[in-house]
Amino acid sequence: MRKVLLILVLCTAMLSAQEKPGESRFLLRGYAHSGVEVRGDETTFVGGSFNPIFLWRQSDKLLFEAELEVEYENGETLIGLEYANMSYIINDYATLRLGKFLLPFGTFAAKLHPAWINRLSSKPLGFGHDGVGPARDLGVELRGGIPLGEAKMTYSVYMINGPALNDGTNPNVEPEEAGMLLYDLGEDNNNNKAIGGRVSFLPLSNSSMEIGFSGLYGKVGNVESKYEDVAALLYAVDFSYVSKVSFLSGVVDIKAQLNGVQVDDASYFNVEDSSNYSFSNKSSAYYVQMSYRPVNMSTDFLNSLEFVGRYSELSFPEGALWTSDQTQYAFGLNYWVDWRTVVKLSYQFADTGAHESEGEEGEASNDAIFLHWAFGF
Amino acid sequence: MKVKHVKLFLVSVSLFFGALFLASCTPSQAQASKPGALLWGENCVRCHNAPSPSAFSDSQWEVVGKHMRIRASLTADEVDKIVEFLKMAN
Ligand code: HEC
Repeated sequence: MRKVLLILVLCTAMLSAQEKPGESRFLLRGYAHSGVEVRGDETTFVGGSFNPIFLWRQSDKLLFEAELEVEYENGETLIGLEYANMSYIINDYATLRLGKFLLPFGTFAAKLHPAWINRLSSKPLGFGHDGVGPARDLGVELRGGIPLGEAKMTYSVYMINGPALNDGTNPNVEPEEAGMLLYDLGEDNNNNKAIGGRVSFLPLSNSSMEIGFSGLYGKVGNVESKYEDVAALLYAVDFSYVSKVSFLSGVVDIKAQLNGVQVDDASYFNVEDSSNYSFSNKSSAYYVQMSYRPVNMSTDFLNSLEFVGRYSELSFPEGALWTSDQTQYAFGLNYWVDWRTVVKLSYQFADTGAHESEGEEGEASNDAIFLHWAFGF
Repeated sequence: MKVKHVKLFLVSVSLFFGALFLASCTPSQAQASKPGALLWGENCVRCHNAPSPSAFSDSQWEVVGKHMRIRASLTADEVDKIVEFLKMAN
């Protein structure tokens, strides 16, 4: 009898303990997308990806966020770690982040790339893998938002492992891409940490406009190699404007970003003809995107539509074996099932310029039609 | 070695001015008196569509609020008011 009572008391204690909310909160969210793509004579269903996001709010001051990217490609399931970091809110103006995080280098990588946020099915030229500029890295960051009277500003300063130079001496990492920067390697190739930051201003009182400036500087050469002192300066400028425009009875959304990469001159070895060569190592990419979504139209169907156009351009250095100049136009018609679920139909065509780059599959070359759906959870 | 000192010096100077600057930063009267619903409509549409309040429970909004405060570098005051609004309207 006593045992039964004890168990009963314990059970009640556990139940009532559950009712109190406590400090810890856990949220499992994420996003997924998939679709059909038509390129030339090829039509394929693409698995797209599934990205679970784990959020642990430990207390009012501590948050841990992590995102996995699960992709199905060429019959294989690939799992990648997008980010995993801890944030500690120091005060109203400053938050410290540690770990692997999306870099505030412009806005596309950190704020606009998820499939349910990106209004087109593809990324702009130079903003995907093998692009111009980094998307994520390991390090520490201090960031925050600051009210300035009617306006606002945000800032971020960070120290990360930084990009590494492909100096062409390692046969396993595409020697013909000598001079290119490699991002997100997980481990640094030297003692020098790269230092970067972003400041942005939101000059209008309704926060509808934001202009941001980003920079990142560090040595990129392998330690104890002749490239040891080669450094790189990376910069980005981003712009965003989102506002209701009454004479169009809809919301207009403009996004733009320019990325630039400058690597110190160095001499590389050409495996094909055994010569040494060097070039002015500057790359850049930019995009401008505009979308329009009707509101207050007579039918729900019309209010769920969105029209998008985007222009992007990419330029890799002349004289490099990976030289390339490309431009791309993309147009899209979206149907929003709700605020985080979308069906996207888009068409894009590209001019790959005089020097077609290899390996930038899909995004860079050829005309394509995409029909994707995307879910934010 | 020298470069390190210069870097250290620059960092200390910017921290000092940063602290001075922060101490003088406040929202205007009009900004400070904006209700949560308005702030939600202005801020939560800048990157994605504004989420419907009914999408999440109170405690879930607390997590999302933290996540977005950090991701979007929203000010502390804005996020507190927005989360308050979302918890009321869900
Ligand atoms: C600066 C851009 C930006 C702003 C402003 C912004 N968000 Fe987000 N939001 C994001 C991004 C990016 C994600 C996706 C997170 C990811 O994939 O890592 C996201 C995800 C979300 C999610 C999905 C769950 C989660 O936490 O990931 C919700 C809900 C959300 N945001 C609500 C809001 C609310 C409410 C506001 C206004 C306070 C807001 N967002 C403002 C960029 C933004």
